[in-house]
Amino acid sequence: MSKRTLATLVAGLAILILLPFTQSNYGVFVLCSWLVYSISAMGLNLTLGYAGQVSLAQASFMGIGAYTTALMTMAGVPWPAAMIAAMVLCFVIGLLLGYPALRVQHHFLAFITLAFNALVVLVLRNEEWLTGGTYGIVGIPRPELFGLQTQKPLAFYFFVLALFVLMAVALYAIIRSPWGRAFKALRENPIRANSLGVDIRKTTLLAFAIGSSYGGLAGSLLAQLTQFIDPHSFGLTISLKVLLMVIVGGAGFFFGPILGALLIVLAPEFLRFTEGYYLMIYAVLVIVLMIFCPTGLLGLVERARTALKLRQNPNATTWEAGR
Amino acid sequence: MTPVLSVRNVSKSFGGLKAVDNVSFDVHQGEILGLIGPNGSGKSTLFNCVLGQLPSSTGTVLVDGKEVAGKRPCDLNKLGVGRTFQMLQVFPEMTVLDNIILAGQEHKGTMLSRLFGKPDAGLTEEALRMIDFFRLGHQTHEKAGSLSYGQQKLLDAAMAFMAGPKLVMLDEPAGGVNLTMLGDLKERLKAFNRERGATFVVIEHNMEFVMSLCTRIIVLANGRIIAEGDPETVRNDPTVIEAYLGG
Repeated sequence: MSKRTLATLVAGLAILILLPFTQSNYGVFVLCSWLVYSISAMGLNLTLGYAGQVSLAQASFMGIGAYTTALMTMAGVPWPAAMIAAMVLCFVIGLLLGYPALRVQHHFLAFITLAFNALVVLVLRNEEWLTGGTYGIVGIPRPELFGLQTQKPLAFYFFVLALFVLMAVALYAIIRSPWGRAFKALRENPIRANSLGVDIRKTTLLAFAIGSSYGGLAGSLLAQLTQFIDPHSFGLTISLKVLLMVIVGGAGFFFGPILGALLIVLAPEFLRFTEGYYLMIYAVLVIVLMIFCPTGLLGLVERARTALKLRQNPNATTWEAGR
Repeated sequence: MTPVLSVRNVSKSFGGLKAVDNVSFDVHQGEILGLIGPNGSGKSTLFNCVLGQLPSSTGTVLVDGKEVAGKRPCDLNKLGVGRTFQMLQVFPEMTVLDNIILAGQEHKGTMLSRLFGKPDAGLTEEALRMIDFFRLGHQTHEKAGSLSYGQQKLLDAAMAFMAGPKLVMLDEPAGGVNLTMLGDLKERLKAFNRERGATFVVIEHNMEFVMSLCTRIIVLANGRIIAEGDPETVRNDPTVIEAYLGG
């Protein structure tokens, strides 16, 4: 990592620490939502952006994580245990959902994961004895840390921020490791990867499982943030929203989903003055972006940077230009 | 000495068509075996049966005396069998260095130790040597997809060699490669064979390339071996000439 990157990261973190102090309670809530959705989108970015496995089920893992945390903490289980349980459960279910990916790919896989999402929502809605049905669950407690309550928005924000940083660092470590290389190889050429000793089966399943556990943690935090959950919060539209975050930001770029989540969470706030036209404007913006920049915003940045360097030094190789 | 590769009575049928018909041969340590034959003679099918991409209908394949039927390609690779493909097979969005490291990393440690170990699995130095050996040094940090076709062929071969395999199976390494690059490729393959005692099986249509690279040649026609021997013998064999010219 270069000094410049490090300085940018430190500056970014400083902004994340200072920003909430300038915000109203509602502003802090929006920032929290952004970080929570970022964690979910980071997970999907691993599954889709790095390992190339299409999934339209990320919201269902957020749901599984949210309900697990809600039910366990309300039954008196300490919150760390409940959150870990949520992640482990999502890891295991993600592993199972990975099995179809060993047989089918692309849009077929998209349909299977879509069906899974619908299934989870149906279970959440119909198993009223456990999930409260369409009424959902109210009054989910926020965690208490070393005697400190996170009931106040600001305190909870820092709790979310800490987990966000932890999960981002963990993801970075995974992507930089040989596993990350194997995930990318799976995305780019599974047959060749297999012939070079990459166990395609394990790699595919892990890509699903790790990505799903990120979704689980995000759901867990969402339950604590809103303190109210219902099946509607984890439907297919939310899966599509998380997918949009990954694609708009730049799938396969580390900061892509974080930027994507920022835009998707904040866009409604900025477009509020347009009232009823909000969704139309939003849709047009997304369509324009996808036409002119299918690799997302960070893909656009990379392209611009390479073009600029090449103009300054036409003899540079693309590697030198890309630096 | 146990042959590195031993193919015993292998047949493969697709419906009524016998693509490979009772083929047997051995490949010994340090040999460069050429597998030639007219289009549709069963070379690629035979290759795929040996490499576990296709299950053979009958017969056995032994690598170092061990039966390898039913093994997945990744397991076969871990047993020391490297391969290249007829069609280009590199990872275009990854750098040349990452392509090469990937080709070696799965042979280092366990899956779990790779997650917590060094990001390059301790392979950077060896990878750079391999890249230099195949004369791609100035492209180390380029994306593999930005290399020329010939350079990608070299990279493809380098990847097959990275894990130090006992046996490398090359499927048309010369296809679509220009003359200069072809000379380079041949010379690098020979150097690899000489310096590290590597064993190759090569499928190729380019006769000149095969005749000057291989130490022994097997000719297939209609799924059967019709001739076998050193390049000179095979070149003058009337059955081979007949098979190619359709007599």
